[in-house]
Amino acid sequence: MAEVVAGVRRTLGCGVLVVDDASTDGTASAARAAGAEVLMLPIGLGAWGASQAGIRYALRNGYRGVISLDADGQHLPASLPDLFIAHQREHANVVIGTCIERLSLPKRIAWQYLRLLTGLRLRDFTSGLRLYDVQAMRMLAAPEASLLDFQDVGVLMLLASKGMRIVETPTVMQERKEGHSRVFASWAMVARYMFHTTILCISRLDLGNRSSRPTSAGAEP
Amino acid sequence: MLDAQITAAILGIGLAGAIFYLVRRDHLHGPFAAWWLMVAAATLVLGMFPALVVWLGMLTGINYAPVLPIIIGLSMVLLRLLKLDIDRSRQERQMRRLTQKLAILEQEIEHLRRERQPGAESDRNRRDER
Repeated sequence: MAEVVAGVRRTLGCGVLVVDDASTDGTASAARAAGAEVLMLPIGLGAWGASQAGIRYALRNGYRGVISLDADGQHLPASLPDLFIAHQREHANVVIGTCIERLSLPKRIAWQYLRLLTGLRLRDFTSGLRLYDVQAMRMLAAPEASLLDFQDVGVLMLLASKGMRIVETPTVMQERKEGHSRVFASWAMVARYMFHTTILCISRLDLGNRSSRPTSAGAEP
Repeated sequence: MLDAQITAAILGIGLAGAIFYLVRRDHLHGPFAAWWLMVAAATLVLGMFPALVVWLGMLTGINYAPVLPIIIGLSMVLLRLLKLDIDRSRQERQMRRLTQKLAILEQEIEHLRRERQPGAESDRNRRDER
């Protein structure tokens, strides 16, 4: 993880924040030693709760945009400038770094299903490599985003429903050096995840929104 | 053998007594006590006046009236459970936001502390880069 922090600082020269989701493996001190600011959550909130903490921190400290990436080494700091390029070129509020080669068959089936369900035309829903601009940050820092459990579908639907423009850009990713996917750990987890996501999608279904906006992106704000 | 009316009266009064005791001992928050007292009152009234149940049964078209209190009771339990989960969701949201805010404030305190210490020059430089 120290490698990731150092890589990001080298590539972008920006402030780096590591959110420690109540871990006990010395994440915080390692991150501080590598030159990052650290948020230590006293209670584990999961991937999205931790990300939201980071976004709230960034807003509070006057940052105008954030990039989130996993600290397990699967997202390469060298790919971060691509997100900025896509952000500029597409005038997007949110840019997702997608690794298409990485997608296994069960994932592809799952994504096809989610595309149908949500009406979002995205290739990878769970990628943690994302850029949010200040408008998206404000929406995500709000209390209405606090009860989401996963950072993917619920977050993206919330942003899309508020008219945020979401685009994807292809990036190269590495095999995880440490840890494993939280969602795709086992079939039971996948089933649980799909069930919860389906309920979420159905309860948030906005038919008018789907038909009038053929692309994932809403109107320019 | 006890009369059904006496049984109901014992249940209702017993429940009401227990509620007052719990409120008195500060184990039960006010608004919750109100709900449970209503339950106690309903038990008491329906049990003491069985004719009421029969009348309610005719009113609602339920032929077998004795099942009526059970239906009412179950519905109330379901409503109560639903309310409980709604409250829990609200508390979960508050808990998550508080946790985040706590971590952010803790980091700020840490930052201020480091800035006040001499030799924290590198930290200050990094802040300027923002």
